[in-house]
Amino acid sequence: MKRPAFLLPIAAVVYVAAAWQVSPGFYDGFAPQQPYNWVCPPLHISGNLPPTSGHLDIKVLGGVSDANSAFTDDAQVVMGFLPGAFDATGKTVITVDIKPVSPCPKSPGLTFSTNVYQITADAPLVKKANLVMRYSDIIAAPSNVYYATSPDGPWTSIGVLSEAQPFTIDVTTDKFGYYAAGYPTNSVSHGGPNSQLLPIAIAVLIIGVLVAGIPLAMVRRRRAAEGAGEEEDGG
Amino acid sequence: MLSALTARPAVRVAVLASYILLVSWTRALASNAPHAATAVLVIGGLALALSAAAVPFDRLGLGRSRLGFRILGGFALAVVLLLPAAARAGAAPILPAFLAVPAIVVAVGEEIAFRGALYAALEDLGGAPVAIIGTAALWTAAHALSHPPQFLIAVAAAGLLLALWRWACKDLAGPIVAHVIADLAL
Repeated sequence: MKRPAFLLPIAAVVYVAAAWQVSPGFYDGFAPQQPYNWVCPPLHISGNLPPTSGHLDIKVLGGVSDANSAFTDDAQVVMGFLPGAFDATGKTVITVDIKPVSPCPKSPGLTFSTNVYQITADAPLVKKANLVMRYSDIIAAPSNVYYATSPDGPWTSIGVLSEAQPFTIDVTTDKFGYYAAGYPTNSVSHGGPNSQLLPIAIAVLIIGVLVAGIPLAMVRRRRAAEGAGEEEDGG
Repeated sequence: MLSALTARPAVRVAVLASYILLVSWTRALASNAPHAATAVLVIGGLALALSAAAVPFDRLGLGRSRLGFRILGGFALAVVLLLPAAARAGAAPILPAFLAVPAIVVAVGEEIAFRGALYAALEDLGGAPVAIIGTAALWTAAHALSHPPQFLIAVAAAGLLLALWRWACKDLAGPIVAHVIADLAL
């Protein structure tokens, strides 16, 4: 079968047109299935949907609260409770609520990579609960989960357990209050959004292809000419 | 069993396609498990590369001829793959650092499986058109569980472009280079 060269540019144009219809970064599914829902979206984000709240009623049987998980409907925050996690004295049901906080709290020296969420319950914790927060894939990843008793702060780092899944950060806590994931603004470990790096990388690739391609083409042409010369000498 | 595989292209295609789809879908589902993403991606990438275990390098498109040009072609392909994201760089995602190695393993594994072993088997079965369309279709199906439906047209277009390169240049080095760069950059 002949290999017509025009098919490749056509396929490239078709690809660019198809990729333009969806948000960037679909390669191999590393990105989250759903875009992050912001209370205060970063400037470059369009089509943002507001984040959702979550509510959970936990049954108390024989004075012991059930194991259960509270989560927002968009699954951006999940808080898991072990059996007997609450001081359930005098209660038959314990309610837990998770609400995104608006307007967006600010903290000097900190950059939040998530919304700030207020997590409340009508009974105190006596065992640590597991808190998982999802963050957006188009902003710098958080290094810590921060806690405050008021949206105005002060914000305290409560560390981080691990990256349980890509684009999530998890931590254990025995307090209710305000939570957000983020990083110190002056941190050097966070490079910031891709907005500058990707066009530069593309430019470097184009220049690299051109600069390396010219000598390679010259070497190939010289070899071809030498081969033709030898054939003529031999003939 | 092995002789039946090598003697009948249709059987080879069926076994290879089933294996590759099974590995891809298992990887997509298992990588959602807590604390499992890195290990699942690496194991999944290596399992995909295994599909080419009995295929000679030349049949995979990995011969040494004009290697410099082919790698350079991979950089050019990467430019095309990244162009839509670079033009809208503010909305381009960032790959977490801990996923860099898994991204490389998965990209290499997928290229060896789809544009390498599967392409060669499909070419034996029905020639280049079947190989190009077949790998693009199976590549899209393999990504059905890891991507939202609206992304699959772009995935199919990327599969078609990489398969056409494999056919036009008889080369797998370029698609490997391009796929690795694209996965790392985003």
